[in-house]
Amino acid sequence: MTFSNPPFLIVALLSCAAFYLAFLLLEKRKTGQEITYSNLPFLVAAARPRAYTRNAILAAWLLGVVLLGAALAGPRVNAAVPAKDAAAIICVDTSGSMAALDVAPNRSQAAKDAARAFVAATAAGTKIGIVAFSSSASVVQPRTADRDMVRDGVERIPEPNGATAIGDALALAGQQLPAHGHRLIVLITDGVNNRGVDPLEVAKSLGRQHVPVYTIGIGTNDSGQLIPGTNEPANIDEDALRAVADTAGGTYARVADAGQLRAALAHLGASTTLERRKIDAKFPFAVGGATVMVLTFLVGFGMGKIP
Amino acid sequence: MNARANALRNALLSGKRRPRNPGVGSPASYRGDGYEFAELRAYLPGDDPRRLDWAATARVGALQTRVILEDVALTLAAVLDHSKSMYVGRRRPLLDAAREAMLAWYHIAQSDDRCIRISGSRIVSAPLRGTRSANLCANVRPLEDANMLESLGVAHAGLQRGSALLVISDFFEISAAHAGLLAKVASRYDCTALIARDPWRSDLPLQGFVRFKDAESPEVRRIFLGKRERRRYIESVREREETLHALFSTSGWRTGCLEESDGAVSLLQTFGLR
Repeated sequence: MTFSNPPFLIVALLSCAAFYLAFLLLEKRKTGQEITYSNLPFLVAAARPRAYTRNAILAAWLLGVVLLGAALAGPRVNAAVPAKDAAAIICVDTSGSMAALDVAPNRSQAAKDAARAFVAATAAGTKIGIVAFSSSASVVQPRTADRDMVRDGVERIPEPNGATAIGDALALAGQQLPAHGHRLIVLITDGVNNRGVDPLEVAKSLGRQHVPVYTIGIGTNDSGQLIPGTNEPANIDEDALRAVADTAGGTYARVADAGQLRAALAHLGASTTLERRKIDAKFPFAVGGATVMVLTFLVGFGMGKIP
Repeated sequence: MNARANALRNALLSGKRRPRNPGVGSPASYRGDGYEFAELRAYLPGDDPRRLDWAATARVGALQTRVILEDVALTLAAVLDHSKSMYVGRRRPLLDAAREAMLAWYHIAQSDDRCIRISGSRIVSAPLRGTRSANLCANVRPLEDANMLESLGVAHAGLQRGSALLVISDFFEISAAHAGLLAKVASRYDCTALIARDPWRSDLPLQGFVRFKDAESPEVRRIFLGKRERRRYIESVREREETLHALFSTSGWRTGCLEESDGAVSLLQTFGLR
């Protein structure tokens, strides 16, 4: 945490000291809550009063003063906030292999569920687009900050059919992203690139533009699953997906069931659309300080201690 | 003198520390209208020969003894704690109740009884008897810095054996360490301790942060009184009261509680009277 006006910290500390002295003086004043007792040492030994209640109230008052004083000093804190101009494109594989049933209810449906989880987890203001690909890639939903539109777009993702053009999908996703800002691509696929441009080349290009690609491999290798309607095994080219992610500056994750897939996308949505930035915390400090003081006043009032 | 005072006096006369003159019809050791005739009866060995009624003996033909009522006089001593701690109370100072108890104590004095007031290290006693002596003692100006233990020491050294001693205090100065002194005093006198009850023994009237002033010192403290603190306080007050009663009882004292509401009744209750 840094302060834009550090001298005000000294003012805050001086206020704190002044308040402490005032507190001690006010404690000695006469109040309606007063009893003359025959033997005070006996009373103290008998009741064994909790000293921490008084100390807690004093500490709360001092905290309130410190927070208000610190607000004057212009605090700036390093916090995770929604990334500025964040944009994410979800590339969903709709090749024939996505109809495989090793991931319940099938890979395509699980991918859609995961895309919804990603949308729900992303920070507000993030623009999200959807690209579906099989033998070729197409934009299902242009990037938008409107979550309802994105969710509608997820529903419009085509049913599984055709080959797998991962490179084309990445290239199209890259085109959908703005030239600047916090950008990323999430690729959900289960197969091997067998159409279009080389995904690794596209990944290199994206990496140069600082667009990370997070690849999610879905399905189980050597499970005996065949692509429906064919005799081809539904396997994943994990090495290729890992290489794409590494080249573009993203990460690769392998999921074997719908739950894992949803969790992985939700995590990605939450982590990739936030960024750590120094933000002006003057207002939270002032509100926090005032709230603490008001609450302390109310609690103290209830206990017969003002302050 | 009313019935209550009579009952209280009789209770003191039958006190265990009261010295007895041996033999029926023995002369009283105090001046006054003793030798009051009660009856004639046959002589018994041990009877004072001076009490033989020769005329009756001649009439009956056997030795006859005149039985007379024993003349008794009490020495009523009182120590009233006049410290500032006795000025506290819910509706009125405990000291008011203590004064009532003391007045009731002196009220039992009869013509030959002697009253004594001990205040600090001072013994107030005049060559007076009966109600005049009682009035003098009841109106003694108390010493501000009188010390209870000092008064007990003085009482132990300065009273006539067999005196009836009443001590009224909150007894904050008394602890188990003083059991020896209490026992010594009780071995010489008929001792009664009237323990002033804590006005807030049932519950403290305030809660939350309460400013407490010590009655006997300038100390002031703000104390937080929650449910737990108040419960602990009530238990401690009860325990202290029980401890004091036990301490006095085992030392040979008669004990009772001085209620803020009525000091005289408190004194009577101490003697099992109402």
